[in-house]
Amino acid sequence: MADVTNVFKATVKALRTRKKATGDVTKNSQTFTTILPSSKLKGDFEKKSKEVVQNISKLKDFLMEHRKAYVSTGSHLSAETSTMTDSERDQIDEEAEKVIHMCQTSVALIKNLNGSQHSQVKEHRTAVIRLIEDYLKGVCKVYSEQRAVRVKRVVDRKRLSKLEPDKLFKQRRANKQPTFSENTNQSSRQDQSTSEGDRSPTKSKKATSEEKMEEEEEISTEEAQMFERENAALFEEMSSVSEEEKDIDRIEQVVVGSTENIKEGNEEIRQAMKNSAGFRVYILFFLLLLTLSLLFLDWYNG
Amino acid sequence: MASSLREKQILALKRMLNFNVPATKATTTEPQWKVLVYDRFGQDIISPLLTVKELRDMGVTLHLKLHSERDPIPDVPAIYFVMPTDDNIRRIGQDFQSQLYETYYLNFISAISRQRLEEIASAAIHSNCVSQVSKVFDQYLNFISLEDDMFTLRHQDRDSISYYALNKGDVKDTEIEHIMDTVVDSLFSVFVTLGTVPIIRCPRGNAAEMVAEKLDKKLRENIRDARSSFFTSDNIQAGQFSFQRPLLVLLDRNLDLATMLHHTWTYQALSHDVFDLQLNRVDIEESVESRTPAGGVVKKKKTYDLQPFDKFWQAQKGSPFPAVAEAVQVELDSYRTQEGEVKKLKAAMGIEGEDESAISMLSDHTAKLTSTVSSLPELLERKRLIDQHTNIATALLEQIKARKLDVYFETEEKLMGKSVLDQSLMDMINDHECGTPQDKVRLFIIALLCGPPMSDAEIDQYLIALTGANCDTSALSYIRKWKAYTKMTAAPSQYAGGGTKTVGMFSKLMNQGSQFLMEGVKNLVIKKHNLPATRVVDALMDMKSLQDVDDFRYFDPKLLRSDSSGIPRNKSPFQEAYVFMVGGGNYIEYQNLVDYAKNKSNAGAPRKVVYGCSDLTSATQFLKQLERLGSEN
Repeated sequence: MADVTNVFKATVKALRTRKKATGDVTKNSQTFTTILPSSKLKGDFEKKSKEVVQNISKLKDFLMEHRKAYVSTGSHLSAETSTMTDSERDQIDEEAEKVIHMCQTSVALIKNLNGSQHSQVKEHRTAVIRLIEDYLKGVCKVYSEQRAVRVKRVVDRKRLSKLEPDKLFKQRRANKQPTFSENTNQSSRQDQSTSEGDRSPTKSKKATSEEKMEEEEEISTEEAQMFERENAALFEEMSSVSEEEKDIDRIEQVVVGSTENIKEGNEEIRQAMKNSAGFRVYILFFLLLLTLSLLFLDWYNG
Repeated sequence: MASSLREKQILALKRMLNFNVPATKATTTEPQWKVLVYDRFGQDIISPLLTVKELRDMGVTLHLKLHSERDPIPDVPAIYFVMPTDDNIRRIGQDFQSQLYETYYLNFISAISRQRLEEIASAAIHSNCVSQVSKVFDQYLNFISLEDDMFTLRHQDRDSISYYALNKGDVKDTEIEHIMDTVVDSLFSVFVTLGTVPIIRCPRGNAAEMVAEKLDKKLRENIRDARSSFFTSDNIQAGQFSFQRPLLVLLDRNLDLATMLHHTWTYQALSHDVFDLQLNRVDIEESVESRTPAGGVVKKKKTYDLQPFDKFWQAQKGSPFPAVAEAVQVELDSYRTQEGEVKKLKAAMGIEGEDESAISMLSDHTAKLTSTVSSLPELLERKRLIDQHTNIATALLEQIKARKLDVYFETEEKLMGKSVLDQSLMDMINDHECGTPQDKVRLFIIALLCGPPMSDAEIDQYLIALTGANCDTSALSYIRKWKAYTKMTAAPSQYAGGGTKTVGMFSKLMNQGSQFLMEGVKNLVIKKHNLPATRVVDALMDMKSLQDVDDFRYFDPKLLRSDSSGIPRNKSPFQEAYVFMVGGGNYIEYQNLVDYAKNKSNAGAPRKVVYGCSDLTSATQFLKQLERLGSEN
């Protein structure tokens, strides 16, 4: 809090003049040689480690300088053109990676230098190396964040571009979703998520979709093949599923018919039982009548 | 915007470690490595403030003690953080001679005298390394900040300024002068670090008065010296808009001895009393059952750091022990739910991870992944803290059960509050299961000091009982003498208003399913009562007039004339107070002051009370000092 360096220096001067005054001539030559700060021969370790730190700082400055242009999030609609072409970005990436690699090798070199020393010196150097590594890590993080932002944007753009022609097809598929009740977990979740995933980007990027149509050519052939294969697989699955549906319909109809038949059969049986019951009644009545008439005739005759 | 004393000290330390250039906030700055050399005072100051990791992050590769064997490490700047004593200066001269480091940044904890500066200068000239001494600084950091609102003066050297040293029978004037100077120097550093000039109040006729006079003089001299004053408006940072000056209350330990021996019930105070919390660190012996063929129980010693960044500790350190147990349980539950969420996420991730087609899904998952990954270390840290507190609380509980500390606490509270005792004192002393002999002596001393007045015959009776229970009664003779000397007829009134309500709540706790088996430990609800120190501070801050306080002296270093009549000129109540206890303090007083400040501050006027003491003495240590005092004559 209180800088007494000046007081110290003044004291030193005072002491020196006092010494000179008391005639310390013999020490003069020594003082002359040591008034200038002695340029000590810096050890290898020190030199190299300072070099590495400087390199890393240079890299950091370099990245920071171009960061704004690199990460330019110029809105798609406005006329702001990104001030950096992709080739420039690639160049920056390459150079940054080269520097990082170089720094890593130098750090490894320094580690080798830290061989057999006194324990305190060794501890100190190990700590120094760790500090340098942390610094390097920090700068690498900056670099990778930048890159991640760029990659993400590229990926988003690609996804959006392949969205346009397939938009209708996917929406039709999305409508069929609720009717399938026996889909495997994988396929249903896949579909749902793709349709969901597509719905949200479509919502957010509808305005930009017209512009993106122009970038269809960017779909590489590899990706087109992959998508074709996926489409074929999906189509097969769909067809097998529709066959099963037809079977189910048929069976349902048959079942319905048979239930009706059974119902009718029941009715008829009931009817038959009723009829037979009535017939019996008549027969019994007739027999009774005959018996009574016989008895009457018998009585009448004699 | 007022940052606390502790934060200011940390800032000063960081600036010092940055070669005395104010530290700028850059995201990744070039590492500048350095070696830190300290003496034991420096060690005590730095250790509660900066962890080794933080030191490493600031570029300190090695931290070494001044008086140890140090090897020359070329091409490295060295930062010294030492007291300007003769020994240290001689050692620094030796270092210059052996050309240990490349450049030297000398930071003296308190101001270095002219003479000693000349010694260093001549040593530097002699070894031809004047150019290597880059900076010499007076840091004025001669105090140890333990919490945001608590500081002490000494840790490793505490015996020199303890209560015993001040009050022993054969104390010489020079010794007293020396102690006073140390205390004044440290208090001066406190106010330099804060950048404000306080108004000083102190009682008459004891050590506190001497300290106040000296401090007033020192502050006055410094303010008059316009060139190098620390208290000019430039030094006060822009953020400090407190137009009111703080109040410094200097108190002497003789005001209240009972608090030092009191058994306590709050978490932090308990850890200090039972486990000797030193510099925010606790050592606990845990018995771990080992699986060796020999079997048996192995006692392991574990060290725990109780730092201000531990949110649970900050919230719970002042709460009574059962509340702490519950809080640990709550924390554990919330941690488990969070852990469960993470596990669910992991499971969900596992199944859906098989899909590779949709990139949108992937980005969703990466977002979830990154959030989980970043929250994982937090969770682990939380778990570690919960484990730590669980262990401490369990160990505390064992001790409480073994020594029946809850019974002691209750009895003492009743004594201090003048209520009727459940168990008579004699029974407690004769009870063999209850507590160590020291606990009994403590209880009896409190009874002597605050309880109903006892006749000499009664006291002798108790003495016999105590010696029967293996207690050392020399402390008692000192207390009797002290009581007679200070004529503590006023004492009983000071503790009035206290008292506890014992609620036998162990059944409720059992039902709550707390993992701590609290049977037998009563849940004591502490009714807020004010200790004498708090009472005094309250009266002074609010300009009330209490019988003892009216007699206090008044010092204002900013006044042109030293007003020896001591009439308080300031009529408005103070919002900020620094309470300093000469002769030792403890966490109970601190906690009481904190509670008082919380109660008294309403939304518009936050009241800040900072507690300081010459050293933190636990009850056992204080009892030892009393015993020494008693056995002297």
